[in-house]
Amino acid sequence: MLKVEEYKHQAETCVRCSYCKFVDLNWVKSSRFSRQCPIDTRYRFNLYSAHGLLHSALAELSGKLEFTPKLMDALWHCTLCGGCDTKCKRNLDVEVLQVIETLRCRCVEQGKGPLPEHKMLADNVKSSHNIYGADPKERLNWLPPDIKPAKKADILYFVGDPMSYRWPELAQATAKILGKAGAKFMVLEDEWSSGHELFATGQLAPAKEMADHNTKAIKDSGAKTVITSDAECYKTLKVDYPKIMEKSTEDMPYTVLHITEYIDQLMQDGKFKFNRRVPMKVTYHDPCNLGRLAEPWYHWEPKYEPPNIAVGKTWRRGEKGVYEPPRNILKGIRGLELIEMERIWDNAWCCGYGGGVGTAFPDFALWTAGERIEEAITTGAEAIVSSCPHCKDILGRAADANNTGIKVYDITEVMLRAIR
Amino acid sequence: MSIPREAYQTLQSIVGPEWVSDDPAICEADRYCSLSSPSDEQRRPGCSIEPASTEEVQAIVKVANRYKIPYVCTSTFYSAGTYARKDDSILIDLKRMNEIEIDEKNLYAIVGPGVAFSALQADLLKRGLITFVPGCGGNSSVLANTVNMGDAPIGWRYGLGYQRLLGVEWVLPDGEMLKMGSLSMSDDYFWGEGPGPDLRGLLRGCAGHQSRLGIVTKIGVKIFPFVSEELEPMGWAFHSFMKLPPNRFKWYNIRFYSREDAINAMFEIGRSEIGLVVMTVPPIFRSVARTRGVGCGGFWEAWKENGPKIKPNQEDLRVLLYGIGSDKRLEYEEKVLLDIVKDFGGSPREAPCRDETNFMAADAICANVVGGRFSSEVSYESINQAVRYSRVVNEITEKYKPRILEDYGTTNWVCPYELGYIAKMECLRMSSVENRDALDKWHDDVHKFCATGGGSTIFPEDEIFGPVWGNYPEKEAKIRALFDPNHVSAPQ
Ligand SMILES: Cc1cc2nc3c(=O)[nH]c(=O)nc-3n(C[C@H](O)[C@H](O)[C@H](O)COP(=O)(O)OP(=O)(O)OC[C@H]3O[C@@H](n4cnc5c(N)ncnc54)[C@H](O)[C@@H]3O)c2cc1C
Ligand code: SF4
Ligand code: SF4
Repeated sequence: MLKVEEYKHQAETCVRCSYCKFVDLNWVKSSRFSRQCPIDTRYRFNLYSAHGLLHSALAELSGKLEFTPKLMDALWHCTLCGGCDTKCKRNLDVEVLQVIETLRCRCVEQGKGPLPEHKMLADNVKSSHNIYGADPKERLNWLPPDIKPAKKADILYFVGDPMSYRWPELAQATAKILGKAGAKFMVLEDEWSSGHELFATGQLAPAKEMADHNTKAIKDSGAKTVITSDAECYKTLKVDYPKIMEKSTEDMPYTVLHITEYIDQLMQDGKFKFNRRVPMKVTYHDPCNLGRLAEPWYHWEPKYEPPNIAVGKTWRRGEKGVYEPPRNILKGIRGLELIEMERIWDNAWCCGYGGGVGTAFPDFALWTAGERIEEAITTGAEAIVSSCPHCKDILGRAADANNTGIKVYDITEVMLRAIR
Repeated sequence: MSIPREAYQTLQSIVGPEWVSDDPAICEADRYCSLSSPSDEQRRPGCSIEPASTEEVQAIVKVANRYKIPYVCTSTFYSAGTYARKDDSILIDLKRMNEIEIDEKNLYAIVGPGVAFSALQADLLKRGLITFVPGCGGNSSVLANTVNMGDAPIGWRYGLGYQRLLGVEWVLPDGEMLKMGSLSMSDDYFWGEGPGPDLRGLLRGCAGHQSRLGIVTKIGVKIFPFVSEELEPMGWAFHSFMKLPPNRFKWYNIRFYSREDAINAMFEIGRSEIGLVVMTVPPIFRSVARTRGVGCGGFWEAWKENGPKIKPNQEDLRVLLYGIGSDKRLEYEEKVLLDIVKDFGGSPREAPCRDETNFMAADAICANVVGGRFSSEVSYESINQAVRYSRVVNEITEKYKPRILEDYGTTNWVCPYELGYIAKMECLRMSSVENRDALDKWHDDVHKFCATGGGSTIFPEDEIFGPVWGNYPEKEAKIRALFDPNHVSAPQ
């Protein structure tokens, strides 16, 4: 959450150019898929865009505007995908996403938010340390008898709520891939929710509890590297935890890797190879949390010199996302053909689930995912692959809802098929 | 006060309740525009409405007239001057009207106001056709830009925007429909003129009527044949660019140490009818463009180091050679260019065969990252007059230094169109926030020079320019009274 002065400064720096509504203009390949911001594309009023939200932030701060029904609607429909942020920062120095996140936090502080569906997540986390309110004793139920994590290892596999409780097959795939790659790994006996959705919905107190607990548990485990195959967990551990602790990613007691980064590195070092053909034409969907939002966090105490020089600040402009490792992996699988969609890398269109939207506005999430499915279909691919369980879930539902016939996979499923 | 209930309900029935709102947050987000700093002059509209068709626009405008409610329209909200100046205005946001029709054979496209340049350009490039993208970037509206300003570096070959304007569908301030060009006779946007007097001049003037004469709902624009090779996008985040096919394009940066030679070379390039883009590159523009990805701090570091190294009479030209029709044409253009450069003593340097800012994106907005305040004087002149104007602007600037920040004397941009027939001159100046009044005074002085010295500006003040420009404000007022009897179309 930005401090008030900095929040005001950043919101004021917006020049209302609307650049944030479009894919990087050099990357616009058709009028059909030229837009970047899901809320702008669906709801069209300027309020439903970064530009509108930044202006609301200023107006709210100066007492000219309250959290009106429409402001609440726009604010909570925003998927926090960060598309606006990297588009704006192509040309300008504005912390767009941080202003939107801070506006959410202010809404929560004033007791106007979050939405009841989001509040329930915090209640569940409080009672059972996972967002589903499931029995914490069942957290490790995903582990099949043939997978035996190590008691002590340099690598720790952080599973996350979704794969622990909802999609255990993806956790199993991840563990098997690590096993095949010869990686000795541990899991936490007492992993708590990453807190991803609590951060996203401005519920910082319970989110901080999750961060403190998991960070300590990781530190106590002695692991140097945390691997996850859940893009939301990845971003939360790498970005949100240091951010709430007022540190930089590099100062955390662990390094986070997505499974695709880890395997890609082994491939580059000649230590791992996929050995089974997977004859399939696929396209790849960059999850926001693994792509443009995944850059390391750099802690910065605001300090300016005239005219507007942010002294010592390292800007996060979306260039250091995890874009290539998943692609290298897909390209490294024999028989598999990767065909790109129009909006890729930092221009990827959001799946629609993020920012608490999947929880509170499933119809809008499904609409957003439907847009992505349409884009995927135009490539001629038979399947769309992503690296996040929620992307897979919502894209799969959208594909089914529209009877498209396109298949949706998590990258761990494809990787597993490519290993004998 | 607010929009009368009955009027609001009628608006709801026109577009459906989902597409009109008087929620304060919706209206606040439509309050300020990008070319000016937020001020009390910019009023929060009473409601915002998003029509989807010309019929809906017409119906909204008629309601506004019936209830005497002021309205103002926007197309894609890059916003050159779109804001409500009166309380309880209707903000008509046209971005849902985003249909594109491309007539490949007859080389024109029909667009609604919500069509951004990037969208049209992408659909055209796939067909081996092209339109141009203005300096503000591909996020602005083809329609709003064409009826307002419409200048872009590739205007060197394709001219200014209004020359590409064909059939026009125009909802007049009182809600009457006016169709112009061939559209007035049949459902055909192909031809822009007549019958009878050509009214397109009412649209643009110096810089467009800014929605003060109703709302243009559809236009035909000329498009042009282009290369069939793909302009492949490359690189992510701020590193992005479009790869140009090297058999068809070549960039040259050419340095001259005499401004006169540079300008004469420019004339000669025009006479030889080569190039797709020809312009001067003020060092500050280059530094601003390089600011992408390094921000304000990066700019000042580089500018403080490089600025003092600029030689007093240095002028850089940037030329994009274009093998229109064939590779041989590119070879020919290169030979001609290098001959001209030699004759005028320039040093040519080939630049990477890619484009960052002409075909899709643009970097004008980067000027904001430099921080503090920046402001531009823009005029359209002959090249010679542009140079004269530039000299005077530089002299005036000296008076305000250091409150206007150091520009090392070379910040004026000459961007000619139509092979050099006319040139845009843009003079960019910067100040700190505290010293922004110095910029205001600088503008005043420049305008006084224009009014007496025969220069022009696209932002004339009626008091200064009215008396010397044939009392145009009076004529404008008469036209406005005729077209807008209820004084509701974006009243000042
Ligand atoms: C940094 C910057 C650089 C720029 N550089 C250039 C440049 O190099 N070349 C150039 O040509 N222009 C330039 N412009 C100005 C540019 O023309 C406009 O910003 C742009 O065309 C506006 O398009 P828009 O889609 O945002 O229109 P809007 O903001 O929606 O509207 C622009 C104006 O047109 C009026 N308008 C909008 N739609 C209609 C309509 N349908 N009928 C009647 N009136 C309408 C609006 O009321 C408003 O006054 C620049 C602007 C900025 C801010
Ligand atoms: S957020 Fe950035 S890109 Fe969007 S309108 Fe503001 S300045 Fe422009
Ligand atoms: S974060 Fe995504 S949904 Fe939210 S305003 Fe930005 S681009 Fe739009």
